[in-house]
Amino acid sequence: MVPPQWYLLLATAVFCIGVLGILTRRNALIFLMSVELMLNAANINLVYFSQFWGNVTGQTFSLFTLALAAAEVAIGIGIILVLYRNFDDVDVTKAVTMRW
Amino acid sequence: MAGIFDFAPAIALLPFLSFLIALFLGDRMPKGGALAGIVATGGSLLLALMTFGAVSSGGRQQMTFYVWAQGVEAVDLTLGVLIDPLSSMMLIIVSLVAFLVHLFSLGYMNDEGETGLPRYYAGLGLFTFSMLAFVMADNLLMAFMFFELVGLCSFLLIGFWFREPAPPSAAKKAFLVTRFGDYFFLIGVVAVFATFGTAQFAGPESFPHLAEQAINGEHAVNTLGFEPTTWFTIVGLLVLGGVIGKSAQFPLHTWLPDAMEGPTPVSALIHAATMVAAGVYLVARMYGFYALSPTALAIIAFIGGFTALVAATMGVVKREIKQVLAYSTISQYGYMMLGLGAGGYVAATFHLMTHAFFKALLFLGAGSVIIAMHHNEDMWDMGGLKEKMPVTYWTFLSGSLALAGIVPFAGFWSKDEILYEALVHGLGGSPLLLGAYAMGLVAVFFTGFYTFRMVFLTFHGNPRSETAREPHGVRWNVKFPLVVLGILAAVAGLVNMTPVADLTGNHDFELLVKWLEFEGGDLAGLSLANYHHLLEEFAGYHAAELSPILPGLLSLGLALAGALLAWRLYNVPEPTEHTDRLGSAKTVLYNNYYQDEYQVWLAESVTYPLSRAADKFDQGIVDGVVNGVSSVSLLSGSRVKRIQTGVVPTYATLLTLGLTALLVVLGLLGGWF
Repeated sequence: MVPPQWYLLLATAVFCIGVLGILTRRNALIFLMSVELMLNAANINLVYFSQFWGNVTGQTFSLFTLALAAAEVAIGIGIILVLYRNFDDVDVTKAVTMRW
Repeated sequence: MAGIFDFAPAIALLPFLSFLIALFLGDRMPKGGALAGIVATGGSLLLALMTFGAVSSGGRQQMTFYVWAQGVEAVDLTLGVLIDPLSSMMLIIVSLVAFLVHLFSLGYMNDEGETGLPRYYAGLGLFTFSMLAFVMADNLLMAFMFFELVGLCSFLLIGFWFREPAPPSAAKKAFLVTRFGDYFFLIGVVAVFATFGTAQFAGPESFPHLAEQAINGEHAVNTLGFEPTTWFTIVGLLVLGGVIGKSAQFPLHTWLPDAMEGPTPVSALIHAATMVAAGVYLVARMYGFYALSPTALAIIAFIGGFTALVAATMGVVKREIKQVLAYSTISQYGYMMLGLGAGGYVAATFHLMTHAFFKALLFLGAGSVIIAMHHNEDMWDMGGLKEKMPVTYWTFLSGSLALAGIVPFAGFWSKDEILYEALVHGLGGSPLLLGAYAMGLVAVFFTGFYTFRMVFLTFHGNPRSETAREPHGVRWNVKFPLVVLGILAAVAGLVNMTPVADLTGNHDFELLVKWLEFEGGDLAGLSLANYHHLLEEFAGYHAAELSPILPGLLSLGLALAGALLAWRLYNVPEPTEHTDRLGSAKTVLYNNYYQDEYQVWLAESVTYPLSRAADKFDQGIVDGVVNGVSSVSLLSGSRVKRIQTGVVPTYATLLTLGLTALLVVLGLLGGWF
C-alpha cells in the first residue's frame, strides 16, 4: 500500500500549483482552472483518508465537492462572460472599478 | 365601616369630572362649562360636609385604594385617602371657596364677555381637584404629585390671558419659582423613602412615628451616618423648600405679586384655598415630623416672622388694590408659618381657616370693585364707591377688619393666638422665638395701616375718576359669594376663642382645640395631644404662664394704631400720596427691596456663568471624547480602505499571505517547529 505521505505530497503539490496559478496569472479562465485544482487537491485528501480509515464519509464528501465545483464553474463562467462584455477582456487586472 | 367614607375620593373626583366636561363639551354648553363646575364643587362641598359630620361623630379613615407601583423588595407607591379632623376641615374650606369662586366667575368672566371660558372652567376644575386630592393624600409622594399639579394649574390660570404680554410671563415666573422650591421637596420625598421605607403620614408605620422611635433608639433607620436628629432636620428642611416656594415665603415670594395678572377669581382661589395654602397645610400635615426638630421649627418660625414683616411693609406703598392684597397674603402666610414654628399648631390651622374666608372675601370684593371700575385696578382712580356699591363695601369692610385683626372679627382671634403662642413658648425657654414674635408684632401695625389705606382709598372720599363716578353694576352672582364670606369672616373667629376660654375657665369656647384633640386609635399620632407631647419632649417647647390679656391688647392696639394712622392720612375727601415722607425708603419699598433685581442678578451673574461653564464642559470634554473616538475611526477607515484596490490578484496575495501567517502563528503556538 502506498504510504500516506505520498498522497499528502501529491495533494500539496496540486494545491500549490493552483495557488501559484492564481497569484501569477491574469487570465480569468486560468483563475477558474486554478481554483478547480485547489478543490481537487482537497478531494485527493478526502478520498485517500476515506479509504485509509475504511470509512465512506470522505468519499461522499468528495462527491459534494465535485457538485459544488460544477456549480462554481457555472457561476464563474457567467461572471467571466459579463467581465468580457464590460471590459472587452478577461484580464482580471483591468477590471478595477470596484474599489474604494 | 361602609358609609360616607367610601365616597371620600368622590370629593376630589367631582371637580375632575367638571374639568373633563368643561374641556371637551364646554363649547356646546351654556355658560361655557360653568354650570358643571358649580354643580361639581357644590357636590364636593356637600360630601365634605357629610364627611365632616362623620368625623365629628368619631369616624376616621385611612385607606390605600390604589397601588400604582408594586415594589419588589422595595417600597410600594400608593394612592390613598386620609380623613382626619384636619383634612376634613380643610376639605370644607377648599370646596366652599372653590364653589363660591365658580359662582363669582359667572359675574366676573361670563357677564364681562370673556372668551376661552371652557379653558377657564377646565382650569378651575383641575385646580380644585388637585387641591382636594392633595388635602386628603395619605402619603408624602401622593401629596407631592398633587402639589405639582396645583402648580401646573396655577400656571395655566395665571396665564389665562395669554395674548397680552404680562400674564404669560407672570405664569412662567410662578411656575419656575415654585419649581425651584419643589426641587428640594422632591429630594426630601426621596430622602424620606430612603430613610424610612414609607411615606405614610399616619399610623404606627408612618414616617413621623418611625422618626420618633429612631430618636428614642427603639427602631433603627438609615440616616446616612448622621445623628437621627440632624438628619431629620435636614429632611424636614428639604421638604420645607417646597413649602417656601408654594406658600410664597421669603425668599421665594416674588412670584405671588406677579400672579395678580391672572383673573381675580383665580387669585382668590390661589390665595385663599389652593396653591398658597398647600404649603402651610403640608407642614401641618406632617407636624409630627417637624415637632421632632427644634432647629427646623425655629427656622420655620423665623422665616414666617420675617416674611410677615417684610411683605407687610411692601404692601404699604402699592397703588393697585390687588397688589396690596397679594402682599397681605404673603404676610398672613408668614404668620401661619410663625405659628407652626412656634408650636402653635391649632393657632396656625385656625389662621389657615379664617384667612381662607377673609382673603377669598377680599379678593372677590376687589374683583367686584374691578368690574365696577371697568378693569382699572389703580386705587388712586377710585374713591367714593361706598355709596355706589354698599354690599361690596360692607362685606369688604368685614374682610378688612378680619385681616387687620380687629376684635371680634375672625383674623383677630387667630392672629392673636399665633402671636400669643410665639410669646409664651419664647418666654418658656426658647428665647429665639421672641425675635420672630417681635417681627410678627411689628407687622401687625403695618397690616392695620395698609388694610385701611386700601379701604379708604377705594371706598371713601370723593370719586377721583369718571368711572368711579359712574361705576358698572354687579349682579347677584357677585354679591352672593361676598355675603356668605362676609358673614364667615365676621363670625368664623368665634369657633376658637382661646383667650376667652383661658379667662373664664370654660373650655367650650375652644371648639377647634377640641376638634383637633381627638382620641385616635391608629391615627393617634395626628392628634393635638401627641403634638404637645412631641413639642415638649423633643423640641423643648414649654409654655410660660401668661395672661392672654396683655399680649392681646398689645397687638390689638398696634392694629388700631395702624388703622388710625390710615384714617388720619387717607380718610379725607381728596387724599394725597404721603409716600414722599418715607424718603429714600419709598424707592426701596416701591421696588420690593430689589428682590426681583437681586434674583435676576443671581440668575444672570451666577447661574448663567455656571451654566456656561457646564456647557463648555459638555461641549468640550464630553462631546470631545465622543467626537474624538469617531474621528479616529473615520481617519483610520479612510486610510485602511486603500487596500481595497479592485485588483483581484492583490486580494489573492493578501489572502495567501494571511493564511500563511495564520499557519505560522498556529505552528509557533502549537509547537510544530
